[in-house]
Amino acid sequence: MFEDIPVDVSPMYEGERIRAANMFVELAGPKSIGAELVQVQESVEDGKVSVIGPEISEMTQGEIYPFGLKIDIQGEKLEKELESVIERRVHELCNYVKGFMHLNQRDQIWCRISTEALEAGFKLEHLAKALSVLFKEEFPIIESIAITVLTQEAEVSEFLEMAKEQYTIRDERARELSDEDVDVFYGCLMCQSFAPSHMCVVTPDRTALCGAINWFDCRAAAKIDPEGPIFEIEKGEVLDAEKGEYVNVNAAIAEKSQGMTDRVYIHSVFGYPHTSCGCFEAVAFYIPELDRIGLVNRDFKGETPLGIPFSAMAGQCSGGKQVEGFTGLSLEYMRSPKFLKADGGYGRVIWMPKEIKESVMEFIPEELRDKIPTEEDANSIKEIRKFIREAEHPVMERIKQAKLEAAEESEEIEEIEEIKVDESEFGEPGMAPVMMAPEFAIPASGGVKIIFKNAKIYAEKVIIKKK
Amino acid sequence: MIIAVSGKGGTGKTMVSSALINLLSKTGKDILAIDADPDSNLPEALGIDVLKTVGDVREELKKDTASGNIPSSANKWDILDYKIMESVVETPEFDLLVMGRPEGSGCYCAVNNMLRKIIETISSNYDFIVIDTEAGLEHLSRRTTQNVDVMLVVTDPSYRGILTAQRIGELAKELEINFKKLFLILNRVKIEDGKNLREKAEATGLELGGLIYEDSVVSEYDMEGRPLIELPSDAVSVKELTKIVEKILKFH
Repeated sequence: MFEDIPVDVSPMYEGERIRAANMFVELAGPKSIGAELVQVQESVEDGKVSVIGPEISEMTQGEIYPFGLKIDIQGEKLEKELESVIERRVHELCNYVKGFMHLNQRDQIWCRISTEALEAGFKLEHLAKALSVLFKEEFPIIESIAITVLTQEAEVSEFLEMAKEQYTIRDERARELSDEDVDVFYGCLMCQSFAPSHMCVVTPDRTALCGAINWFDCRAAAKIDPEGPIFEIEKGEVLDAEKGEYVNVNAAIAEKSQGMTDRVYIHSVFGYPHTSCGCFEAVAFYIPELDRIGLVNRDFKGETPLGIPFSAMAGQCSGGKQVEGFTGLSLEYMRSPKFLKADGGYGRVIWMPKEIKESVMEFIPEELRDKIPTEEDANSIKEIRKFIREAEHPVMERIKQAKLEAAEESEEIEEIEEIKVDESEFGEPGMAPVMMAPEFAIPASGGVKIIFKNAKIYAEKVIIKKK
Repeated sequence: MIIAVSGKGGTGKTMVSSALINLLSKTGKDILAIDADPDSNLPEALGIDVLKTVGDVREELKKDTASGNIPSSANKWDILDYKIMESVVETPEFDLLVMGRPEGSGCYCAVNNMLRKIIETISSNYDFIVIDTEAGLEHLSRRTTQNVDVMLVVTDPSYRGILTAQRIGELAKELEINFKKLFLILNRVKIEDGKNLREKAEATGLELGGLIYEDSVVSEYDMEGRPLIELPSDAVSVKELTKIVEKILKFH
């Protein structure tokens, strides 16, 4: 298959690095420019290979040259959406060629050719030929392929500009990639060494809560290291698209958490929120007094409006525990269109530190941007109330509306609403938080049971007496 | 072949590493030096300026990720791979990778997992890898040195130094880390103490790989801040280390 290519072509050369000491020339990389681009075209002259600019034999040892790799493909079933998927294989397939090193992708590539390859008579033309064969073998839907290699500054920089435009278009499309568009999610068990019952679910709309890996990273990881801690979860049946509940995700988490958790809502802090290892970049927490959600990041050192700092909150909901009203999340998730979607997204957020607010500003709906207080505006529930009233947060309108409606329905309900929305004593100075519980019951007579959900008890004084 | 140099801080670990790198580079093979000691000065001993460490790369990536600066469809494996390659200092004789500062706060599981894999791949391209490990025993318990073929434990003649060396040997056994060979190297030995120390070394249960006498040339270089890799081949220490290298090469 590769008879006319003077060096070996095989998957066994993947991971080959060429030291500067053994290198003939460098292409692209940190000290030059370069790019690679796969494009679907209407008609392509199959097998055409061209080199524009100096060939290896015309290059000078130790020099660095600009490098462009333009791959045009045609096929009846080929779609534009497949370009990036096919392009992602350039790295791997280039590395099949012995004596050719290829790192990274897009306009961040870095290649080297070994002196050994030069001595064997290897040329860029051979690289292009090898790639043509390999691509058609890997992707039978490619009917014809033509490859152009560029090594001349002017041509490469022109190509680079064109390629960058394509990358931007693709990135916009990738940002739009949502949970609905894929068949596979990923589970990550990287943190199980210290949170043995925790599994992260990574979907296009939800990055891992450490913030370090997104759906694309997981796809790469599952491929690079199939025995590793990241694995595929076939999405399967959707139970609730809004909350983000899936039959197979539930099954996977039940298996990997040793039965600790068997249900999870990917996009909600209520019901069955996603569990947390302890690594999360931020926590979303429910504020019962306001029926809203607050956000706090690891770097925020002060106290949250709940009266406790990040560290205390993290302690409550880490270690793979599922605690309703709390969920760990990444900063990137706050940029997701599905960010706590089931709970109302940013419409439900009532407090967040300034640092994160600024970094996700453009993802907050415009009408809410100056209405969500930060630590500079409010530090207690009372202050939040004051701020949102003055800022005319839409929630105030809704509360008023709810009150009116309730008043019409019955007087009894109105009383309850009164307690909820009126300025209460809670959070006043001098009141100490006594306990917080996602759920607890108190004994009552008359055949009823009273259950408090997301309860917070404050007292002026706590007296503990021996009987 | 992976050779790790360990021992208590200040025992001459870095001098041994740099001389080892120098001697091995004369074989004409591909050599990677890894500085895994955040407090070490291996780059200075090798006469190299390091612009970026693995630690810097790690922090950079974390920062870029948190601020959303990474293109959504780019994957971090490739980015890390590129940046690590960029941080490798390449010389005609050997390449150097500096691990640099330890982790900050937050979660490093994912990035460290990727780094381990990437450094493994890079390492597989070299004939010899010399690791200047962090002082102490942690590299053993964290199993960062478990694939090591030859472990050199460097100590000075002090009681505590020899005790630390002995512990390294014991801990390796306890953790079932099977080095092909573990050698004790006694450094900065006074001529008159030679015999006495040989006996003490024997008592540790470790095989004595070499005994390096006090070397005024080394002290001179240290004082002037000259790279130790430039030590002349007739220096007392280099002569002894040449013998040690011959012993090591037998296991290659």
